[in-house]
Amino acid sequence: MKLPPVEYEAPTTVADAIDLLTEYLDEASVLAGGQSLIPLLALRLARPAVLVDVNGVDELSGVSTTDGWVAIGAMTREYVAEKSGTVADAVPLLAVALPLIGHEAIRSRGTIGGSLAHADPAAELPAVAMALDAEFVVRGPAGERVIPAAQWFEGYLTTSRRPDELLVEVRFPAARRGTGVSFQEVARRHGDFAIVGLATSLVLSGEVISDARLAFAGVSDVPVRAAAAEDLLVGERPSTELFDEAARRATEDLDPPGDLHGSSDYRKTVAAAVVRRGLRAAADSANHRARERQ
Amino acid sequence: MVDITLRINGATRTGSAEARKTLADFLRDDLNLTGTHVGCEHGVCGACTVIVDGRAVRSCLMLAVQAAGHEVTTIEGLAPDGGLGPLQQAMWDSHSFQCGFCTPGFVMQATALLSDHPNADEQQIREALSGNICRCTGYQSIIDGVLLAAQRNRQGANREG
Amino acid sequence: MTAMAAERYTGASIKRSEDPRILTGTGRYVDDIKLPGMLHAAFVRSPMAHARVLSVDVSAARELPGVVAAFTGAELEAMTVPGPDALMALMGWAGPTPQFTLLATDKVRFAGDPVAVVIAETRYLAEDGCELVEVEYDDLPPVTDASFALDPGSPPLFANLGDNIARTHSRHEFGEVSATFASADRVSGFHIDVHRHQNVPMEGRGCVASYDADHGVMTMYAATQSVHVTKIAVAMRLGMEHDKVRVLAGDIGGSFGLKIGASREELAAAAASRAVGRPVKWVEDRGENLSASGQAREESFDVRAAVSNDGDLLGLDVKMVIDTGSYPGMGAMVPDIMEAMLPGPYKLAAMGFESTAVTTNKACYVAYRGPWASETFVRERVLDLIAKDLSLDPLEIRLRNVAPRTDPLAVMITGRPLVGVTSRESLERVAQLVDFPAFRRRQAEARAHGRYLGIGVATFIEAAPGPRTPEAGSGPMGNESMRLRLEEDGIVALFTGQMPHGQSHQTTLAQIAADEFGVPFEQVRIVIGDSDVVPFGLTGGSRSATMTGGVTLHGARQLKAKVLDFAAHLMEASAQDLLITDGNVWVRGDPASAITVSEVARRAAAGPFGADVDAKLEVEATYDGGEGGWSGGTHCAIVEVDVETGIVKVERYVAAEDCGALINPAVVEGQIRGGIAQGIGAVLLERSAYAEDGSFQSATFMDYLMPTACDVPRIEIEHLQTVPLDADVNFRGVGEGGMIVAPPTVVNAIEDALSPFGVRIYEQHVPPARILELIAAGDSGV
Repeated sequence: MKLPPVEYEAPTTVADAIDLLTEYLDEASVLAGGQSLIPLLALRLARPAVLVDVNGVDELSGVSTTDGWVAIGAMTREYVAEKSGTVADAVPLLAVALPLIGHEAIRSRGTIGGSLAHADPAAELPAVAMALDAEFVVRGPAGERVIPAAQWFEGYLTTSRRPDELLVEVRFPAARRGTGVSFQEVARRHGDFAIVGLATSLVLSGEVISDARLAFAGVSDVPVRAAAAEDLLVGERPSTELFDEAARRATEDLDPPGDLHGSSDYRKTVAAAVVRRGLRAAADSANHRARERQ
Repeated sequence: MVDITLRINGATRTGSAEARKTLADFLRDDLNLTGTHVGCEHGVCGACTVIVDGRAVRSCLMLAVQAAGHEVTTIEGLAPDGGLGPLQQAMWDSHSFQCGFCTPGFVMQATALLSDHPNADEQQIREALSGNICRCTGYQSIIDGVLLAAQRNRQGANREG
Repeated sequence: MTAMAAERYTGASIKRSEDPRILTGTGRYVDDIKLPGMLHAAFVRSPMAHARVLSVDVSAARELPGVVAAFTGAELEAMTVPGPDALMALMGWAGPTPQFTLLATDKVRFAGDPVAVVIAETRYLAEDGCELVEVEYDDLPPVTDASFALDPGSPPLFANLGDNIARTHSRHEFGEVSATFASADRVSGFHIDVHRHQNVPMEGRGCVASYDADHGVMTMYAATQSVHVTKIAVAMRLGMEHDKVRVLAGDIGGSFGLKIGASREELAAAAASRAVGRPVKWVEDRGENLSASGQAREESFDVRAAVSNDGDLLGLDVKMVIDTGSYPGMGAMVPDIMEAMLPGPYKLAAMGFESTAVTTNKACYVAYRGPWASETFVRERVLDLIAKDLSLDPLEIRLRNVAPRTDPLAVMITGRPLVGVTSRESLERVAQLVDFPAFRRRQAEARAHGRYLGIGVATFIEAAPGPRTPEAGSGPMGNESMRLRLEEDGIVALFTGQMPHGQSHQTTLAQIAADEFGVPFEQVRIVIGDSDVVPFGLTGGSRSATMTGGVTLHGARQLKAKVLDFAAHLMEASAQDLLITDGNVWVRGDPASAITVSEVARRAAAGPFGADVDAKLEVEATYDGGEGGWSGGTHCAIVEVDVETGIVKVERYVAAEDCGALINPAVVEGQIRGGIAQGIGAVLLERSAYAEDGSFQSATFMDYLMPTACDVPRIEIEHLQTVPLDADVNFRGVGEGGMIVAPPTVVNAIEDALSPFGVRIYEQHVPPARILELIAAGDSGV
């Protein structure tokens, strides 16, 4: 399974990268970490005319905080984000999701931006981004746009990035006091893509849930917010009954895809278990984080 | 064709390859370092694992051109003059392998693991190696080899300390 | 004296001689081979499962810079000699032989069937060339399940066979079947399915074929379980004299039955090398390995069991259908072995067996580690199902039914004596190692908390190589040969046709030879992998421990006797007063007399000697297996099933095994653990999946899921040792056993975990979605 013939460009600035994308448009694929793109090329399922390798664009890496947001450069390696104290403190949902991505060697090369631009609905980071209403900063010949997560994911492996735009940064809101998080997934083996996964972030104010964000991986062609469940949870105290009802509401309208690893019915059934477990874990995490701060 | 200069196993090497050529193929074909094996070419089996700039990486998921200017360590570079380093010795002592095809990938991944987590316990080792596939051993002997290497490291450190 | 020397290496976990090169990446696998002028082959493969081939146009491929040649199936037919599959011919196959061409010409018969080959400077360019080949197909209805294949209306895959019945194995009865079933307290019926899965060695198939036109010699660097079988296959297909074909093999990255003889692709590569006059390498990629190298185990069984109310298994009556895929492999031969092995170590009064092998539009059925293994799956599942019906404990029902070690020997209803079988002992040992009552208490406690644990056991025997029979020693899997020679430099060289691919023969055989001959382990060299040099042999069938261990032991003694006869002349002593220990030859009672074995060898090589002195320090030994024997054991698994997600975790796994005397315990244990891992993989993860239209759905490791270090627990192994049958050779094979018995062990445990839901499992593959279906369909009222 050898890669097909392809042109190769390795710009060193964002401006040069954008020039290339403007020139090649749909004929170009951006090569970030390569952990998703290179297998597609090797299987000859992807046939771009040119690879625009942005690994040499140093300005695209880095983790910084501003004004209640954590900005992560698109080329920040997953393992770097995993080790980042800023991410651990301020974006705990991202911190718990990162170790679930594949295996260490994948995270050595895989990037935050690359995974989110690839937009595999069964992957962990898209669900995290949806749950937190992350913002996607793209830059093109006309300048910069900021796209909220709800508008970023358009379809299976499809985002609203235009062909002449480069994803330069992803911004995550810093977690509030009282936040508890979990990433719950059912996978065939350790490190596999989720058959069904759930990113959960709860804020407990006192004993009451004041904010609830749940986003599924693996139940559709995009990550999906469980809005009905979120509405139910806000203002309530955590309890088994509450979480059971949230699970029911989160899954009753799901129509997940079926494949070799599970039918649609299977995914729907498992999604309910994932919601119950994810909520319990997030509630526990909120208590744990609260105790740690004391 | 692109000229590629990189550091491999401590030496500067140069080759020339198409941009589409993977690092795995470049190591094997152009640099005659056939110790790195190709098991799937889609990043799942881990047989092609090498160390790039201190991190374990699947060389089938990197283009050779991307390694230009970087430091790569392959199985051939772990111990001087074809000897055995401490991890390799511990694996020999533990009967870690059978057919040997997966071995270089496991050795490199375990090398990276032990350098980050010298006191890794069995569960950590299993998880860290769960991205490397072995068909022969059922993994226990490989894990025992890594545990033995870690134990010997600690004993060595204790003696020195 | 002899006893002390004999225990020095044999029986110890001597470190492997293979490992220094394995651990440093200096092994030499077929893809590591580079020859001057070498080209690379890639195959154009059919995307359709069943279609007529209307045209194949390779002209555009030939024009691509870097492509040196491209051949259609028709062009390859002109370059090669049609004939039966070499392995089938060797094994004496006399059944119907489908007619087909080396690469597909008139029709394609599975998705992945090779249609043309492109030869180029690099594999990259060869694949580019393949994309330029234009093939016109005319769709035919695909035959993708056995029931359609059995239908005379299904389009025959092979015109000369006329239908899709590869073979009918007519009904055989042993004992009084009708009477046994008529008089039994209960007759239960089950339909049991085993799913398609496959070998998946980490190294795929491959070769470098190098034709030397000047001498008319074909050299094949191969990944193979036998250099000689590969040689025969190549010679036959290329129409060459056997002595003009040389097969070389170095390190091989696993096989598990896949790499025997030569595949169609390897033969095409050889023909291409001869045509273009340059070496041609073909190494399959993972997609090819999964979709085209062959698959195994797709079998279904209708079983009737005659049972007494007390749990005696009186009779089994089995009808089997085996889906052998498209091109011939070993599928049609498997039912014979299954029939012979189905009784296992149990006292059956009667047995009936019949089977039909069908052809379908799937990759061909190949040998996969214990090809007959489904007999153990069926039998061990049936015992558990009966136990449940009768409210009996699974250990108890097995203890009740295993044949005791009696005099005269218990004999399987299908004829083979159960000499030295320790099934009862292995069951009892498992009961000691695993505290069943404590587990049952833990299980009940867990259930009260909504957690579902289960325990399962299964017992098996394996003919490794099996007890002495009148036919022992005949045929290609018969006698084992070895040449042993004391080299000029003092090395004891063993030339064997064994072709280890993980079995550690370079270590284990050296252990035996070192002990028997009297030299240090390092002074023995195992010579393998050159058909010009080694005698006929094949690594497979779990035979090498007994057959090759035996020929090594006896051959080393014969060589030693010869060397001592020669040394007697040098030392002016009587041969019977001479000893060899630690690499020295010396006169008993006179240590100062010692000269090194190396010195003796040097003197023999230097000569000259009179006609009465035999200085050719070499022997050709053969071994017929002696008394032979069985391997076997009992395995036990404890699992936990998450009933909300269907995910199964194997928490504990115990194997009480008996392979007689162990040559190298670490090697034995490695073989067992690897087989168990494959069994766990089969049940929980692995499936070679075809869609209804015959397209293949598991062609990457994202879809064909292999067990990893998080899926296989620590496996506890206890060694029993068979009552020795022979004064010297009591090593039994162990390569296949783990894979044979692990699937029923794990499935039995899963069913036990799910018994509160009334679940019964009649299949081998139970992925998470299936577990939830079984729970939903279970009869919790029972």
